[in-house]
Amino acid sequence: MARLPQQQQSINERYGPHPAFSTGVRLATGIEPDRVVKTHCCFCGQQCGIELKVKDDVVIGFEPREDFAFNRGMLCPKGVKRYLQGAHPDRLLTALARDESAPGGFRPMSYEEAVRRTASEINRIQSEHGRDAFAILSGASLTTEKAYLMGKFARVCLRTSNIDYNGRLCMVSAAAGNKKAFGIDRAANPWSDILDAEVVWISGANVAECAPITTNYVWQARERGARIIVVDPRITPIARTCDLFLPIKPGRDIALFNGILNLMIEHDWLDRDFIDNHTVGFEALAESVREWTPRRTAEVTGIAERAIRQAAEWWGRAKTSFLMHARGIEHHSHGVQNVLGAINIVLASGRIGRPGCGYATITGQGNGQGGREHGQKCDQLPGARDISNPEHRAYIADVWGVDADDIPGPGVDAYEIFRRIDRGEVRGLLSICFNPKVSLPDNNFVARMLDKLEFYVAIDFFLNETAQHADLVLPGSLHEEDEGVVTQIEGRVIKINKAVDPPGEARQDWRIIQDLAHALGRPQGFTFSDPGEIFEELRLASKGGVADYSGITYEKIERQGGVFWPCTDENHPGTPRLFEPGSWNPVARGAGPFYFPDGRARFNIAPYTPPTEDVDDEYPLMLTTGRVVSQFLSGTQTRRIGPLVEQYPEPRIELHPQLAEKLGIRDGDWATAETRRGAITLRAHVVKTIRPDTIFIPYHWPGRQSANQLTIAAQDPISKIPEYKVCAARLSVRKAGASTEQTETNGTNGRI
Amino acid sequence: MGKEVFRAGVWGVAVTTILALLIVIGSRNLAHFDAALVGYTFATLFAVFGITYRYAMWLQRPPTALYWRRGWQVFFRRGFLLRNLGAWVGRLTGEFALNRFIFRRDRARWGAHILIMWGCLIAAAITFPLVFGWIHFETLPEDHTWYRAYLFGFPGFAFPIDSLFAFLVFHGLVWASFLVTAGVMLAMRRRMRDHGAAALQQFGEDLLPLILLFAVSVTGLMLSASYTWMKGYAYDFLAILHAATVILTLLWLPFGKFFHIFQRPAQLGVSFYKDAGERLEQARCRRCNDPFASQMHIDDLMEVERKLGFQYEIDDRAALGADHYQRICPRCRRALLGLAQGSAWTNEER
Amino acid sequence: MGVPEKLEFFVDPNRCIGCQACVQACSECDTHRGYPMIHLEYVDRAASVQTLPVICMHCDQPTCAEVCPADAIKRTEDGVVQSARKPRCIACNNCVLACPFGVPRMQSDLMMMMKCDMCYDRTSIGKKPMCATVCPSQALFYGTREEIELLRPRSRPIDRFQFGRQTITTRVKMMVPRTGRVEYLDVASAMHSEPIGNRLAATDDSEGLDDLMFAAYEEGDAQR
Repeated sequence: MARLPQQQQSINERYGPHPAFSTGVRLATGIEPDRVVKTHCCFCGQQCGIELKVKDDVVIGFEPREDFAFNRGMLCPKGVKRYLQGAHPDRLLTALARDESAPGGFRPMSYEEAVRRTASEINRIQSEHGRDAFAILSGASLTTEKAYLMGKFARVCLRTSNIDYNGRLCMVSAAAGNKKAFGIDRAANPWSDILDAEVVWISGANVAECAPITTNYVWQARERGARIIVVDPRITPIARTCDLFLPIKPGRDIALFNGILNLMIEHDWLDRDFIDNHTVGFEALAESVREWTPRRTAEVTGIAERAIRQAAEWWGRAKTSFLMHARGIEHHSHGVQNVLGAINIVLASGRIGRPGCGYATITGQGNGQGGREHGQKCDQLPGARDISNPEHRAYIADVWGVDADDIPGPGVDAYEIFRRIDRGEVRGLLSICFNPKVSLPDNNFVARMLDKLEFYVAIDFFLNETAQHADLVLPGSLHEEDEGVVTQIEGRVIKINKAVDPPGEARQDWRIIQDLAHALGRPQGFTFSDPGEIFEELRLASKGGVADYSGITYEKIERQGGVFWPCTDENHPGTPRLFEPGSWNPVARGAGPFYFPDGRARFNIAPYTPPTEDVDDEYPLMLTTGRVVSQFLSGTQTRRIGPLVEQYPEPRIELHPQLAEKLGIRDGDWATAETRRGAITLRAHVVKTIRPDTIFIPYHWPGRQSANQLTIAAQDPISKIPEYKVCAARLSVRKAGASTEQTETNGTNGRI
Repeated sequence: MGKEVFRAGVWGVAVTTILALLIVIGSRNLAHFDAALVGYTFATLFAVFGITYRYAMWLQRPPTALYWRRGWQVFFRRGFLLRNLGAWVGRLTGEFALNRFIFRRDRARWGAHILIMWGCLIAAAITFPLVFGWIHFETLPEDHTWYRAYLFGFPGFAFPIDSLFAFLVFHGLVWASFLVTAGVMLAMRRRMRDHGAAALQQFGEDLLPLILLFAVSVTGLMLSASYTWMKGYAYDFLAILHAATVILTLLWLPFGKFFHIFQRPAQLGVSFYKDAGERLEQARCRRCNDPFASQMHIDDLMEVERKLGFQYEIDDRAALGADHYQRICPRCRRALLGLAQGSAWTNEER
Repeated sequence: MGVPEKLEFFVDPNRCIGCQACVQACSECDTHRGYPMIHLEYVDRAASVQTLPVICMHCDQPTCAEVCPADAIKRTEDGVVQSARKPRCIACNNCVLACPFGVPRMQSDLMMMMKCDMCYDRTSIGKKPMCATVCPSQALFYGTREEIELLRPRSRPIDRFQFGRQTITTRVKMMVPRTGRVEYLDVASAMHSEPIGNRLAATDDSEGLDDLMFAAYEEGDAQR
């Protein structure tokens, strides 16, 4: 029975998060490192190159890595301080078993025993309730080798259909939109194409805080004459000095894109040749956007009409351009439609597949791209293959040496897995690299579901908030303790190099999975001796698929500074830019550059619908959530790194002075934000950089500070992404007696 | 010759002359003066001239002059003298005798410094009175196993020759050189390993002083070794060598890093100035209206800057709300820099 | 060794995104490990996200050194104004209060001033300073004049700053528009300037929150 064992405080005292600071060897300035390891940052999708300094098998510091073309030494504050996650006092050094009487609610257990018990629980649940009664939740910060192995473990060893991953909260709307429009899901261009763009359009992307290195590309384009258009409900740092800022109401992006397209059509700012020769569906789309007059667009989006016209003109008349978007337009119950709206104005301009003409989603997680290609998604097999497609199943079954009929069918998305727990259909869970108790919407529901499980085993290096509910915890590995590949924001496959060994009884995640397979008595296919062997099988499994890695080797990655997939044979240099005229792909087979049998891209009608939960008299404000630059996702790592915690210690509610005045809230006051799902009391941050009808809360914190107590579990019908970016809320000065306990994660922990 | 130079020269000559007179008086008309040490004496006199001259020059720099004056003023301020004396004793022991501020900066640095400092202090306390003939020892006429110390020619206490006390006192320089040698080793180790120190250090400023101290200590120890165990082997040569290192160090005192020994006590004056500043009216920033320093400090600084030839006065006082740039706090100065650069762009594009 | 003359520091606060990578990286430097020396300043956070990094500008005639009563601040031959020399600094705070750019920091418990020394441990052996290497917006850039001219076709470096009647020239350069006639930045004159950049503004006829329309563009176009 998975339950929170004890008072939260007792868990925190034992397992943190304790903020670590530089001490001892890390603070000394007379230490020569034993070695300096060239690798990449463990955090976001940009995967900046970094060098880690190692002394006595501990990462003691970093050095900027200037030989990696993407960032050439640049790093954000998270990258600079990431070395502090190693040799951390909160690090799990043994397996843990729930024990109410032990301090912190867990007692150490031998690794072998923990693996045996996990296997027997899996066997018990699957034999009593069917194979699908055991589910796996995985993550997109794992290396591609691990992600591949997780999918294989679910389908071959457990034969459960219920596997999904935390990319479900991240990139799936973009992935679905890209597949519908282009037939392939990858950033269409390398970032170097931003530099040659005349217009850079950024929709729903807080570039400065969530993809900081991209800033330099944008500013560099501006130095060369580009105009920068930013669409966001908040004046983010990149919006402050952009050429045109469109302060959109949260959740109204399709209206804007449709309005822009309508103006493009009206003024014939179209690439007719491109539309005729390389696309289908334009006429129907044109008909559908006719209703989006500038006036109506302005009314719905809350943007001045003149600004909309200006944006359309700059976009329409440009010779080259780059459009990028991120979670701001994707985290919606119509996230896929938003993405399609964006792609429509790109395709109508014909500016794609050429130098300086680009389009991309800014992938969030470290391996957000690679982690969504090789089969840990509920409906997918390696090589971005479709688990429902008999040919695809047959190919993968052959690689895996199993019968195609034994591979389960499509499962359900991560949130639906929790609903299945509620219905008693899922009774056991293995999670890795995922902290849904912080990161999923309406997370009080998530916590209740975790407690409902018969057996829950978590693999992690720190005891994150979700793992605190586990029956068993297996000590996994940090990024710097293993090697493997990841695919970064541009579609470039790069190599993570091992700097140190896992400490204590912790071990590399892929070894843990293999040990489980052995303990389950089904070791076939789980006998790899290093990540390189897994990668060799992955190359074969991806061969002929859309995400074809078959021509990529570790050696080639190091030699070229990364390889852009698709890369179909060992002499192939990789494909930095997709959709180039005359390019070949396995779907179109020469018929055209896009990944459909006719080689043409698809226009998709993107009908506007308001957010699932619109404002009303009771909840008159729009709540939107997002990130701050010093924290990453659910904060499992970054809330344990002292200098990052100090940079932004706890969440605040951002609101406009006009709203603050109306509600009698002053900067620094305690304020309570409420939605139909919960309430949260935090300090108010009164700033003129947000729409007066919108409030913003960053989501990296757990418990009473968790913004996801408020967010709505509405999901996009296609991508199943949750609607983090808008729901109806109300705000008040803290009522007397309401809890303002801020100590849950920070207060009790001393500096270390 | 400038006024400052002349004044510093006069001070130098005066102090040197006083010391010379004291040597003559203290050694009873050179009766107790060891002629073999005349080299040391002249080097010391030169060093005293140099140090006084440089100190006087230093005190005449506008900022130093002002804080020198202010330091004494606030120290003797009526009603605070007692409290100040208490603080003075505390700071003398904490910051000076124990070097606590260096301890907080860097433990390794503190270890080196406190060894060197106390080694040098002990050595100086022994050497100078002996050289100047201010102290000498005579055996008691009634008992040849006892010594009596004479100070400025006046008889002091007596002690047995073979006592532990005598052993400690007569080998005082040996102990001092042990301390200094250990301190120099630690300092050298730090300077060779620490990347930060390696980047900033200069030979003349940082390494030469250590080498000089090391040379003085080692040659001194060799002298002791020569007459204690080696029957005075090469004693004369070693004596000259030791004298050369000491004289070189003395001559170097006014010029290099060692001068901080004489400057450092200014720290005390500053601490009293700060104490007084906290009790006085605070200057408020003309932009953000937050207090950021004592008004006395800001006023003094404006005077210092005027004397140095800076012109941070603002002519357009009515429009900008300040007559002097000093009236804006450091944080707002940084913000103003951003605003000025930003408006260069917006003005250009308008 | 020393900092090569051809390598210069160019600062463009207009690019700054306030991420503090510079601050975090600064505290990793060997000459002041654990203490960041760079300042990351919000101009007025309530009104704007405008930020700027402030490093030592390395004045040709440093006010901080002149007002130091202890002779503790030295300018090296390669034009770098060093942190106070540790044996001399008496923590009087003169430099902190006198620096026209607001750069030095007083570490009261250590009884000494510390300031940006252009990462002397790195620049004196040919590396870039920590902050300029990591800066994601390249608001902080370190390189040659040829490089900056190539990379920033619409910008131009200047090194003169006006504070009231006082002109200060610096080793570190600041970027202004290439086409304009700006020869120096009049810092004191920015006393009553509003933060620079796009604003959100309600139209005049708005009453309730529902009626708010945004005229950001009206002010935004001043940026062009």
